[in-house]
Amino acid sequence: METRKLTVISAGLSQPSSTRMLADKLAAATLARLEDEYTVDVVTVELKDFAHDIVNNMLTGFPSPKLEEVIASVETSDGLIAVSPIFTTSYSGLFKSFFDVVDNKALTDLPVLIGATAGTPRHSLALDYAMRPVFNYLHAVVVPTGVFAATGDWGDSGDKVRSLPERIDRGAGELAELMKASERSHTVRDPFALDTSLSPVGGFQPS
Amino acid sequence: METQTGASRSPMQFGIFSVGDITTDPTTGYTPTDAERIQNILTIAQHAEEVGLDVFAMGEHHNPPFFPSSPISINSYLAAKTERLILSTATTLITTNDPVRLAEDYAMLQHVSGGRMDITLGRGNTGPVYPWFGEDIRQGIPLALEKYALLRRLWSEDVVDWEGKFRTPLQGFTSTPRPLDGVAPFVWHGSIRSPEIAEQAAFYGDGFFANHIFWPASHTQRMVEFYRSRFEHYGHGTAAQAIVGLGGQVFMRKNSQDAVNEFRPYFNNAPVYGHGPSMEEFTAQTPLTVGSPQEVIDRTLGFRDYVGDYQRQLFLMDHAGLPLKTVLEQLDLLGGEVVPALRREFANNRPAEVPDAPTHAARVAESRAARVETEAVDA
Repeated sequence: METRKLTVISAGLSQPSSTRMLADKLAAATLARLEDEYTVDVVTVELKDFAHDIVNNMLTGFPSPKLEEVIASVETSDGLIAVSPIFTTSYSGLFKSFFDVVDNKALTDLPVLIGATAGTPRHSLALDYAMRPVFNYLHAVVVPTGVFAATGDWGDSGDKVRSLPERIDRGAGELAELMKASERSHTVRDPFALDTSLSPVGGFQPS
Repeated sequence: METQTGASRSPMQFGIFSVGDITTDPTTGYTPTDAERIQNILTIAQHAEEVGLDVFAMGEHHNPPFFPSSPISINSYLAAKTERLILSTATTLITTNDPVRLAEDYAMLQHVSGGRMDITLGRGNTGPVYPWFGEDIRQGIPLALEKYALLRRLWSEDVVDWEGKFRTPLQGFTSTPRPLDGVAPFVWHGSIRSPEIAEQAAFYGDGFFANHIFWPASHTQRMVEFYRSRFEHYGHGTAAQAIVGLGGQVFMRKNSQDAVNEFRPYFNNAPVYGHGPSMEEFTAQTPLTVGSPQEVIDRTLGFRDYVGDYQRQLFLMDHAGLPLKTVLEQLDLLGGEVVPALRREFANNRPAEVPDAPTHAARVAESRAARVETEAVDA
């Protein structure tokens, strides 16, 4: 069986965390779509475990060995599930800080499923005005469905017409299809590869 | 005291480099004035010679809290005040300086210093410096490539016709003075993370200087390996014959724990990495060594394990608000205990094919030998 790699990033802070719960459900639904045809390697990361490393990276310019492993996992995945709590109308600072220390060209073409959690459904558009543009900027491919879970979605006061499990399944399906076509985890990237137009004597045009 | 001179044979050169930051001493709250820091750096550089070091390299910055906007002025003064010290830079901004100005200034310094100089080129780390000097930071690499290509021609060709993207064209231009003894100053290319710059250094057979302060050793190792392999690719010699320089950062006291206690407040408040990782984390993850002279010796000797035998080792000594007296004491330890041991140990098992550190005298001898060979072939 072919292999595919999925990295799951959860920026939840509490323990237990509904952000992590949503991330796990999205991962399980994606896995369900792939596991008959592929061996899927799933790496789940709680950003709070790397909070100091992320800030240190911002200050020093380089990641600690343990953060470097997480960044490498994201960069070499066929798919990324990125879930953040919504704080003050946007993704959490920790969530953004993590993507700030990832090389801004490393996520090009990476299939991404975004998710968010908050206390009320009134924050749901944060997915589309805040999270989606971050990945668009990075030239990642964000699937059309973003999955938002308000507290009520975990019980009986959520959306009863399009329920949380249905939304999860729809987003996971979109991500799984893109992951099938991905060759990212099989591609070896050379950090010293020079632009083919590079001439040491000048006249080089940066792309 | 070592009697090495810039003109005699030295397998490896040791010295210090200064960023030129004006930083409040976190233990006293005292901030030196520009005037004091400038006088202090002149004292520090001269003391480097007194304790037997080979090289002093001055940074270039164009914004507070840094003072060295004009490293050439500092190095010219030092050329007059010292006898053996090689005066270099760390780094000269090839992106925003005019290569014509650089060719003139540094050829003049070469004459004034009797060949006791070289130059380390870099791109700089402050975004607004580019627009302040009329350039675009997105063109950093193309600027470094084109401007250096011109700088080389200005030194190697008596009359230059040139047209490029980033500067007014030149027709029939002669850069004066012509290089001392017909040999251009040695050039190092400094870079933290751009393989393009390592490629450029390799292409010309110039030196490559790895900052080696802010990033893990594994990163420096990969950059140097890349430079060495490209040096060989371009036919300048074997990979082991490429010319490599490293930065380094140490703080020493006789007793290791005294060094740790004394340096910690300076580390914690340092301009670049302060308020981030702990000193212990940073020491583990980068080449920073805080401890006894013996610990510094052991750690520094370890650099060879991952970059190979190399030519120049410079230490950062006068940053983060450390008072002058402390810096001079650090130099005493460096020159008195550390460097003599490093010279001895690095000389052990150094393969014969590894070139000595570049000096003007050696380069003049090489160029004469090459000329004699050419004449013999022609005859």
